[in-house]
Amino acid sequence: MSNKLFSLKTSQARWVILISYIIALAFDTIALFGHSSPVIPPLTLFFLLYWCANFLDRTHLFSAFLLGLLADTLYQTTLGSHALLFSMITFLMIRHRLRFKGYPVWQQAFLISLYMMSYQLLNYLFFSPVLNGNEIVQYWTMPALSILLWPVLAYSLGKISHTAADD
Amino acid sequence: MHFVIAFTLAIVLMVADHYGQLMGSFRGVLLTTISPIERIATLPKQFYQLTTTDFTNVDTLKLENQRLKTELLLIKAKQQQFSNLQLEVSRLESLLGTAGKINTQSLKIATVTYYSNNPLSQYLTLNKGQLNNVIEQQTVIDSKGIMGQIINTTPTHSRVLLITDPDHQIPVRVQRTGQRGILSGTGHETTQLGFIPKTSLVEIGDLLESSGLGGVFPAGYPVAVITQIENKGGNPYLDVTATPVADLFQSHKVLILSQATPYLNFDEDLDESLNEDATEEPLDVK
Repeated sequence: MSNKLFSLKTSQARWVILISYIIALAFDTIALFGHSSPVIPPLTLFFLLYWCANFLDRTHLFSAFLLGLLADTLYQTTLGSHALLFSMITFLMIRHRLRFKGYPVWQQAFLISLYMMSYQLLNYLFFSPVLNGNEIVQYWTMPALSILLWPVLAYSLGKISHTAADD
Repeated sequence: MHFVIAFTLAIVLMVADHYGQLMGSFRGVLLTTISPIERIATLPKQFYQLTTTDFTNVDTLKLENQRLKTELLLIKAKQQQFSNLQLEVSRLESLLGTAGKINTQSLKIATVTYYSNNPLSQYLTLNKGQLNNVIEQQTVIDSKGIMGQIINTTPTHSRVLLITDPDHQIPVRVQRTGQRGILSGTGHETTQLGFIPKTSLVEIGDLLESSGLGGVFPAGYPVAVITQIENKGGNPYLDVTATPVADLFQSHKVLILSQATPYLNFDEDLDESLNEDATEEPLDVK
């Protein structure tokens, strides 16, 4: 199983990755139009980090850049700002992904929360969102929620990508 | 190496987008790309509305129809008075020999398809785009006042930056005193009136209307009502908070104003809009 996990190639699950990004963008759009609280993590970045950590034959920086541009369009922010944020977080993941992949899922979840905290911090510095009352707490609680979300995501995407690779 | 390229490209894009107008068409392409995803994202809400609104009471609809008919009659009567007044003013102006003119705008009715009410960005998406001759910087109003301006267009949709967006500013004047200022968005459902000196006579409840300075927004449309005035120590200006008069997140139908034209083409768009309503699902109004 572990050998198989380490030998997965992006080309084996290209369509799964593409569809997952579209679904993630759709979920982020639902969260935006549904006026959900800032506690919900950006799923696009979540998926990007998962694929980056598990498919080691690519840097995924092109995907990060492109998804960042789409996020800029979605959130109506300066073009390139989310692209820069996504590229930076992906780069941080690339630097440690071999070690990250070897950790158990719960440990990965804690590391992901650190990545998400970096994202929130950079997001705050870049855009200075105006947060009132509870929103401040919710904004900074997002990395903690990521700890709970990561195991579910890792399990589901792991199953799907292995099924796709087997086919 | 890949990271260095992505980093440099992102910085170049940010600078180009911030200081130039070159990125408008590129953003339009991205907006067109993301448009199908936005439609997919609204499907669950539309399905929910479809299942809930189908059970609306017939009596309620009859009552609403009656109310709308009465309202329409009253508006038509007012419109007749307005036309007479317009002619009267033109006659008086020609008698006085002044060069003044009443500006009338060409109107387009559009439907709000979705909206974002996020601290980062506040915008609406409308179902009219380049194919309907919608262009950037056109003003969007509802029945109560100015909502914002068109910032991006795709062939079938357009995006409106609301006056409450942190990046939005509109030149206004206090209707009662004529005092001018700049109204900026706060990222929430209020706006901040800047550059009002402490000696100014503004009061809570004063109506702010567009001043027309800058030439983007037409003059004389209501924008916001002053709700709070604070006088902070060393600051030479007052901290004035105002609430928009338009129903920014509740309006379903809005009007897009074009540049001044000698006539109104309201009826044509009204017919088109009514035909659209027969096939479209209404947006949930709060």
